[in-house]
Amino acid sequence: MKTIRRAVRALLRSPLRAGLLVAVLAVAMGLSLIMITVNGAFGQRLDDIRAQVGTAITVTPAGSFGGGFRFGVPPGDAPGAAAGADSGAGAAADPNSDTGADADSEQTALTDEAVTAIASIEHVVGYSRQITTRYSGDELIAATIEPPDGADNPFARNVPEGGFQIPVLVTGTDNPNALTSLGVQNAEIVDGRTFSSDEASANVAVLGQTLAEANDLAVGDTFTLNEETVEVVGIYSTGTQFGDNSLFLPLETARTLFGREGEVDSISVQVDTGSNVTAVADSIRTTLGEDVADVATTEGLIDTISAPVADAESSSQIAMIAALTASAAIILFSVVLVVRQRIKEIGIVKAIGASDWQVTLQFGIETALISLGAAVLGALATFPLAQTVANGLVSDSSSTAGPGAGLQQAAGGLLGDIDVAVSPEIFLYAIAIAAGLAIIASAVPAWYVSRVKPAEVLRYE
Amino acid sequence: MNEQTNGENGHILVASDLVKHFESGARAVRAVDGVSFRVPRGRMLAIRGPSGCGKSTLLNLIGALDTPDDGALRVDGVDVRGLTGGREVAYRRRKVGFVFQQFHLVPHLSALENVLLPMELAGDSGRDAGELAQALLRQVGLPDELHRRRPAKLSGGEQQRVAIARALANDPPIILADEPTANLDSKTGRLIIDLLQALRQDDRTVIIATHDAGIAAKADAILEMSDGKIVGAGG
Repeated sequence: MKTIRRAVRALLRSPLRAGLLVAVLAVAMGLSLIMITVNGAFGQRLDDIRAQVGTAITVTPAGSFGGGFRFGVPPGDAPGAAAGADSGAGAAADPNSDTGADADSEQTALTDEAVTAIASIEHVVGYSRQITTRYSGDELIAATIEPPDGADNPFARNVPEGGFQIPVLVTGTDNPNALTSLGVQNAEIVDGRTFSSDEASANVAVLGQTLAEANDLAVGDTFTLNEETVEVVGIYSTGTQFGDNSLFLPLETARTLFGREGEVDSISVQVDTGSNVTAVADSIRTTLGEDVADVATTEGLIDTISAPVADAESSSQIAMIAALTASAAIILFSVVLVVRQRIKEIGIVKAIGASDWQVTLQFGIETALISLGAAVLGALATFPLAQTVANGLVSDSSSTAGPGAGLQQAAGGLLGDIDVAVSPEIFLYAIAIAAGLAIIASAVPAWYVSRVKPAEVLRYE
Repeated sequence: MNEQTNGENGHILVASDLVKHFESGARAVRAVDGVSFRVPRGRMLAIRGPSGCGKSTLLNLIGALDTPDDGALRVDGVDVRGLTGGREVAYRRRKVGFVFQQFHLVPHLSALENVLLPMELAGDSGRDAGELAQALLRQVGLPDELHRRRPAKLSGGEQQRVAIARALANDPPIILADEPTANLDSKTGRLIIDLLQALRQDDRTVIIATHDAGIAAKADAILEMSDGKIVGAGG
């Protein structure tokens, strides 16, 4: 206790110096603690992403694009068409019907027989099905896509004045709680609701906001689609004009309206654990045939989605190590200075009976008090700053230029915000770092004190 | 006093052929060069000589602040030359009290805390230690109102009184004073010497290093030093 009191008195002898040292050290330690917190949040988010999509397998017709959608390929040229005809189990040619569906959407789809075969594979715990069709009839007006602002925008240069229209994308799904399709990600119901399991074959639809506005439709309104009356039960928004120019129907409704009974463009397969994903994917390929179905696991998807977070996690780890190193350097440098300044004091107390250990202990306590003060300040700074730093790191990582940047940015949108929760445990980390730094820094006075000969020090002072 | 002796015979200090040299560039300076002497318990010894004659080095050897290169030194039954580690620390705590020319008080501690410091380092603290420290400061004539002041707020004479009280803190049998009046005016210097003289009453031995013949004359015995050797003795 006496030693602590003496250490405090020694620190208070130069309050300005001690205060500055604490402040500088607090910046470095605060940065370390922020990075520890942010790093934990990034790690948690990556785990969440893996948990969400890590056990999913997507099965689409061979050679198809995105969620089974195929642009501009004549039916006879589709490789899956012949294969599907041969196999009989996995794929079926889409009959050319006068349903208002664009001819380009005629494709070789998978079938419910394929779904049944997949469902029987060991470790498969669930699945959902989609069909996706490009609608170019005249019952619905496709929204006009406006060019992005800014004459320098390369995309804007290719957009005709007044914008252009893209066909309406109609998706039938038996998983109404996950409204995802080609270009539709992060759909959020902004009005009404999604359809329920009781409405598996009902004429109900959830429209994208842009499409609804283009057709002056609101929740409760009806519209005609392939001569059937369909009620709008919900409006969603993705924040993009392209994504909001689509509509969702129950799977069976879509099949009926577009004459695609028994067909599937995309199957999302859920596997019981991540470790079984590869084996199940191989089984699906074997069962359906690789010339019939493309089987995509989520490893690549995870990499793409999590790239910004993974990059930010790496950045935060590097920053954490740098900040800890800076903290250690600051405290070591300052202790060296302080010990050299107080060499006479060391000689005096040794001359009057202090052991090396007692002198070292006092310097160690002084160092610990400085470190602790800095750590507490740094920990307090973590609460308001960690979220900002995390957002900045993810933003920097998401704005990567070069090939694949657009995909990465789009994938980054799936991440949502990184929620950095700073818990009181941060103070435990702070204390641990402070203790570690104090122990490291105490090696300096220990070394000095053991070398100080009182007679020499006092003779030359 | 400077005769060779093989036994202590009531002497608290016995030095035999004591040698200490320093490297100064290419040559070795023999600061203490074969010094032998004995000091009876409860006496005051003055080591006199010009600056650089080796008297401070000799005090440092006696106080175990430095190590002899050769010879023998026994203080109160302790072989000082063989001291290392914990035994050396214990010797500094219990056997000797040092009074320096430049006082060498710890600047961020008050007068009272400076006196308490050796007790705390020796493991004695608490109320009794506090009262003893107060008593020592009163004994050396420092008014109570100055006990809480830091050294920077005290005069040179007051600081030297605190230094003497600190030297007495662990009740050592020997007080070593290295030019204790050199930084003081003559009146204050006389008061400090009177104070050191008074310490003999407790059967304490006082050894003063000084270049001042007037101060040396107040001692019971005098050793004259020159170039690291004892060149004369008196008293």
